[in-house]
Amino acid sequence: MSNLKGKRILIAKPGLDGHDIGAKIIALALRDAGAEVIYTGLRKTPGFIARVAVDEDVDAVGLSLLSGSHKELVAETMQELRKLDAGDIPVFVGGTIPAVDRAELMDAGVMAIFTAEMRLDDVVAEVARALTPVQAA
Amino acid sequence: MAAASSKQAERLDRRALGRALSRIANASVADALAGMRDSPNGARRIGITGPPGAGKSTLIGRLARQRLDNGAAVAVVAIDPSSPHTHGAILGDRIRMDAIADDPRLFIRSLASRGANDGLADNIADVLATLDGHPFDEVILETVGVGQAEYAVRSLTDTLVLVLVPESGDQIQAMKAGMLEMADIYVVNKADLPGAQKVASELKAVVKLRQRLAADWEPPVIMTGSPGTNDVATLNEAISRHLAFVQRTRNEDDVRRVRREYHLKSLLTRSVADILAKDPKGMDCSLREAFARVVESLKARQL
Ligand SMILES: Nc1nc2c(ncn2[C@@H]2O[C@H](COP(=O)(O)OP(=O)(O)OP(=O)(O)O)[C@@H](O)[C@H]2O)c(=O)[nH]1
Ligand SMILES: [Mg+2]
Repeated sequence: MSNLKGKRILIAKPGLDGHDIGAKIIALALRDAGAEVIYTGLRKTPGFIARVAVDEDVDAVGLSLLSGSHKELVAETMQELRKLDAGDIPVFVGGTIPAVDRAELMDAGVMAIFTAEMRLDDVVAEVARALTPVQAA
Repeated sequence: MAAASSKQAERLDRRALGRALSRIANASVADALAGMRDSPNGARRIGITGPPGAGKSTLIGRLARQRLDNGAAVAVVAIDPSSPHTHGAILGDRIRMDAIADDPRLFIRSLASRGANDGLADNIADVLATLDGHPFDEVILETVGVGQAEYAVRSLTDTLVLVLVPESGDQIQAMKAGMLEMADIYVVNKADLPGAQKVASELKAVVKLRQRLAADWEPPVIMTGSPGTNDVATLNEAISRHLAFVQRTRNEDDVRRVRREYHLKSLLTRSVADILAKDPKGMDCSLREAFARVVESLKARQL
């Protein structure tokens, strides 16, 4: 199932929490679907993440968020991307996102939100769908 | 070669460069041929090669800091292997360069090897040529640690550093016919681990024995990774010395020829791979017939 072949995806961890198992699992799942995955490591600022996304010219940025301040971090990262003329790079979010915040994030322009309960295959399939708008039947 | 200060004065449009590099990395053979151009006044190129996990990326992180402090604007191109089955890759080099990644004069680009199996990546010659057209004084190129196919990085770089580790001891004898002959500088990294001194001594002995074309460059053997030593400063200085030596002594026409030959070979290799992939039945005949078919397909290619 190599439906992400040739796609470059940045998995980034803004915020202060020190857990990146989830981020690494997603990175490996995307790789196994054919993507070329860059991972930033822990505790990166939105500005840093945006610059890596631009230098690496990724097709999407996935933010892994476990700390409480997800709304701010997502908004700041998207803001930093826009500053670098990269507001067109889609951002998806994974982690512990309370249901009440999801609509707001989607309104802010997030491509997708993934939670820990979701099956990895479904996550990968949704990323692939979002990154390949024109698909043969 | 332009001076560092003048090059730095130019502003780098990172978004445009990032995109240009994707376009070039993704180019088909035909596109690559159409867009191909020579790059005068290119950046100095430092190749860092060595077995998987030797500490190349970590060392590049520390080295790039020194090169930046020397006043150079630096780009790093770091290659990691693609899975031949899924085509996927984890581009894990840059995370080891975290300590410097905040410097705005530094540009790091991670590439997957894709179809290339020579330790580099598809279209790498064009990627480097593109960087030559931007305000960088130096490009540091990290290979996939394949261990045997160092001809490619040798062809494309000015100074080649081979990074070994204490566990490489047993490999040195076996390697001496290959990449051991190609490097300009030898590093024994992880010198904090036991056995480094022994490996360094063995390396020195092998390096002494070897017959070099450029007999007036004696490749140094440098130990790195021991806390409290000037290890990376020593490496930094050796690289500068070699870059100056190369500039003084080599024939630029020879360099261009070698690089063009590598470029041509890599495009041909990819073309043949494309042809074989598109025509799996093409092998259901004698080898001689299969060869002839491939040659025919090559001829029929629109350039
Ligand atoms: N003990 C010790 N470990 C080191 C040293 N340098 C790097 N390492 C460790 O070696 C491992 C590999 O380091 P990298 O810098 O990723 O090595 P690499 O050669 O770039 O690896 P690949 O790109 O995967 O081939 C990491 O766990 C580093 O922390 C060193 O000087 N001493
Ligand atoms: Mg590496």
